[in-house]
Amino acid sequence: MKKGIARRAVAATLALGVGIALAGCSGGGAGAGGNAVPGEDYTGPKVSITFWNGWTGGAAPVLVPKLVEKFNSEHDNIEVKNVPQEWGDISKKMPLAVKAGKGPDVAVAHGDDVATYAAQGLLLPADDIVDALGYSADDFPEGLMDAGAYKGAQYGIPWSVTPMGLYVNNDVLKSAGIDPATVPTDKDGYMKALEALKAAGISGEWVDGYVFTGTFEFESLLWQFGGDLYNDDVTEATFNSDAGVQALTHMVDLIDKGYSPPNVAQDGNIKGLLAGQTAYNWNGVWQTTNESFNEIDWTVAPVPQIGTEQAVWSSSTHWMFMNNKGQDKNKTAAAATFVKWMNENSAGWAETGELPAANDVRNDPTLVETYPNLKPFIDSLPYAHYETSAPGITAANALITTALNEAVTGKKEPKEALDDAAKQANEILKQNAAKYGD
Amino acid sequence: MSSTTVPKTPAPSRSRSAASSAAGSSVQAPRRRPKGVAARTAGLYAVLIFVALAIILPLVWILITSFKTDGDVISNPYGIVPDPASTEAYSTLAEGQQPIFLWLLNSFLAATLQTAIILVTASLGAYALARLEFRGKKIVFGVIIGTLLVPPVIFLIPNYLIVQNLGWLDTIWAITVPGAAGAFGIFFLRQFFIGLPAEIEEAARIDGAGDLRIFTQIVLPLSRPALATLAILSFLANWNDFLWPIYVLLSPERLTLQPGLSQLQGTYSTHFSIVMAGAVIASVPVLILFGIAQKQIVESVASSAVKG
Amino acid sequence: MQPSTVTNLATRLPSSRRPRAARTGAARRPRAARTGAARHTGTAYLFLAPFLALFTVFVVAPSIFGLWISVTDWSPFKDTQNFIGLQNYIDLFTPGSITFGDFWQSMGATGIFTVLSVPCLLIIPLFIAILLNNNIRGGTAFRAIFFAPYVLGVAVIGVIWKYLLDTQSGMLNHILGMLGLPSDIPWTVDVPWAWVSLVIVTVWWTLGFNAVILLAGLKAINPDLYEAASLDGAGMIRKFWSVTLPGLRPVMLFVSTTTILESANMFGQSYILTKGGPANSTRTAIMYISDQGLSQNNMAPAAAMSYILFAFLAVISVINFRLQREKTE
Repeated sequence: MKKGIARRAVAATLALGVGIALAGCSGGGAGAGGNAVPGEDYTGPKVSITFWNGWTGGAAPVLVPKLVEKFNSEHDNIEVKNVPQEWGDISKKMPLAVKAGKGPDVAVAHGDDVATYAAQGLLLPADDIVDALGYSADDFPEGLMDAGAYKGAQYGIPWSVTPMGLYVNNDVLKSAGIDPATVPTDKDGYMKALEALKAAGISGEWVDGYVFTGTFEFESLLWQFGGDLYNDDVTEATFNSDAGVQALTHMVDLIDKGYSPPNVAQDGNIKGLLAGQTAYNWNGVWQTTNESFNEIDWTVAPVPQIGTEQAVWSSSTHWMFMNNKGQDKNKTAAAATFVKWMNENSAGWAETGELPAANDVRNDPTLVETYPNLKPFIDSLPYAHYETSAPGITAANALITTALNEAVTGKKEPKEALDDAAKQANEILKQNAAKYGD
Repeated sequence: MSSTTVPKTPAPSRSRSAASSAAGSSVQAPRRRPKGVAARTAGLYAVLIFVALAIILPLVWILITSFKTDGDVISNPYGIVPDPASTEAYSTLAEGQQPIFLWLLNSFLAATLQTAIILVTASLGAYALARLEFRGKKIVFGVIIGTLLVPPVIFLIPNYLIVQNLGWLDTIWAITVPGAAGAFGIFFLRQFFIGLPAEIEEAARIDGAGDLRIFTQIVLPLSRPALATLAILSFLANWNDFLWPIYVLLSPERLTLQPGLSQLQGTYSTHFSIVMAGAVIASVPVLILFGIAQKQIVESVASSAVKG
Repeated sequence: MQPSTVTNLATRLPSSRRPRAARTGAARRPRAARTGAARHTGTAYLFLAPFLALFTVFVVAPSIFGLWISVTDWSPFKDTQNFIGLQNYIDLFTPGSITFGDFWQSMGATGIFTVLSVPCLLIIPLFIAILLNNNIRGGTAFRAIFFAPYVLGVAVIGVIWKYLLDTQSGMLNHILGMLGLPSDIPWTVDVPWAWVSLVIVTVWWTLGFNAVILLAGLKAINPDLYEAASLDGAGMIRKFWSVTLPGLRPVMLFVSTTTILESANMFGQSYILTKGGPANSTRTAIMYISDQGLSQNNMAPAAAMSYILFAFLAVISVINFRLQREKTE
């Protein structure tokens, strides 16, 4: 009987492995499990809820804790714990954390993530709280409510929109003999300015091959040339259309013709603008709160129209209620109360360099009076395009950046890069359909 | 290879003799070379000083940058003297939402805890493997040895699921206990324990001492150098851990320094001085500790190979 | 081996040579001293229990569990996991499958980094160790300085060098410009420079680690051998080839084995410095596997990939071991 120890150890190990495997299997599936987010204010016993968001830069790190503190002081039975972290880290950790019951009770995510999370069963339907807030699709820019919907239920509540604009360093323009008062609005004007800058020895726009912000610029141009990222039911990538090739060729040409240096690092262009090395930068509205702008003479304008129509990229953020393993209903109710309160107090949100999603808040004239830098962004919203919403779409989107990167570093011609990326994206869309389809 | 003219050095025996002579923290002193041509010495120093500067100067540059203002970094990126000298970056960090001092503390706690777990479990187990005869010993030892060269990536996904099922995600247990289960510690100590003289132990046994007493009162005290070496190697390994904590730690206040600093880089990507201030805060305490214990640390690492 | 860590040097220390030496030693002495073999079985397992508990749960179980995951369609979002045989492995070897291109590109990136970095990580530290072995004044201080970057950790090293290597505002390009060299080298943005940067940074970080081990190996070489070589009229270079290198072989086997494994498991440097770019060309196997398994939730293919990587590393370790042992014998 003594000789059996090793054998028993092996047996125990196997049993343990299988046990864990079974435990893993029973980890709850898709769907909300009958739970939903209530519309009424929470009146139960005191609870503490966790709130994940990616607001780590600009003015948000000051404003969000202030708002949370104010909410906590007004609600004896709710304590919100603010957990800011990088957007990238959030999407990296969210699914498995929620499956493990360690995720937040309420979170903010970008428009292209909500459908994925909903399909993965990570979210609770929020139709009731949308009703309680009195929101309908007309209260937001077109398509924004849909971005938070999945299979007929509303999971995301729009909170903010973040379009791109053209940031200008006026001192650099002046040094090249260009009058900063007129910001180019079309291709001719823009290329003339770049040419004049080039003559003065300045690379006018630094093109980078990263998500921030080369991908956003590429997508803006793609829409300007009349293209789109995917077909209507998101079963096929269309970013390699003629419009896409034109868009990417424009960006690569800027490098080839000496308007941009090659090999700009991520964020290299905004740093270059701030350092007075370049004149123009296509960047997001969130940069309006970058304190470093205090050091230079700058303006911001809508992005110029390079293609055949007006268009600009925009992202959006949405509130979500998380369906953690063993989610406490009281916490969800408290989270709903918090989100309602935040929506009622969203007038000051523009201070963070994001535009409030709700039309009436954003279009209140006092907003632009208080934050004049936001005007060009608000002006461009009528022709803004938002991120595609479909389960698992970010994996396909990543290939757009790969293509962009390959093209701007000269590894592939624009068309070849986009075709390769589209081919692979189509595979991913197929995989997504199998993974999340009905 | 061209080893015909020279007496061969059978490698294994050399290493074993080195092992016995270098059993403690000391290594054999090199022969003094009588003839030192001045030029050769100068050249030697020149190379060493060049390499030393290549290591020190980047760190000095980081320190300088951390005392610059954002505007200064942008307008005068290569200025050797901060103008104005400012602690702005540090105060931004201190007031910001990134709890860098907590990360530092977490890293120290985790590395210490993991080291303690390894020392206790590995020394107990190594005693059995080195000094006791028992049934199944070959199998147990063989299985342990067999895992020594398995790359950690094998464990990444299954251990994530195991840690998740234990409810350990986002706790210090996740970043200490699984990592303490490795075979290296027990293997390393077993090698050392085997080398201890059997006579003392036998004398104690005749006096009626049990295994626990022999272990705590004879083997452990005699093994201080090996235990210290293992402690240092374990501490460094945990301190350097990067990939695993990225995934198993969720809350910012639970992060350790390595993933934390990587996150800081993302948050303040356009503010070099703030990121560099973070790097300074992450480095200074470690470098001070290293300065104090440098001899012990370096010699522990040095002996890790020769002793095997 | 610590399951949790990838950039974990200490746990990688033993070479496959050691168990052998150990086993012979183990077999002899205690058996001579003890009588019945079964005498201590109970006590022995009591002593071993804490370790074996951890070892079973976090080393043995996950090895088996991981293998199981790799033959299923495991998803954290499904209630049932189905056995699908070797499909995940077959996909990884089928051109055109969704993982094929990316996985083998990442394996290639790991291979490139290993091939580029290992010679640098052996030769430069060996050179430093030989210099330090001259019994010079201040040797301990130099040794400490060279070792210091290692204790800072990979993320600290990464953010520091990301700043120094910045194409447009990094100090390195500025210094090159002052020397009249090209000052716009895309260190972290384009290949092949990204590879150069990753190797430089890795050398800078771990130079001292390998150097102190090699130095200890040098000090353990019997000085008589050098004297004998001198009598034979051997010069410095001859002595290096015929005394130093043969004498270093056991330590070199150890250092090269750990360095190869370490390089093949590279993650942090490219995670921070290049983010795997440009266009995924520096995305290493570990980076891809962890991303697929823990961020993209494709756990089953990721588990299969980790076993394929393991197989590669095992083959390389065996080859390295054979090569070096042949020289020794």
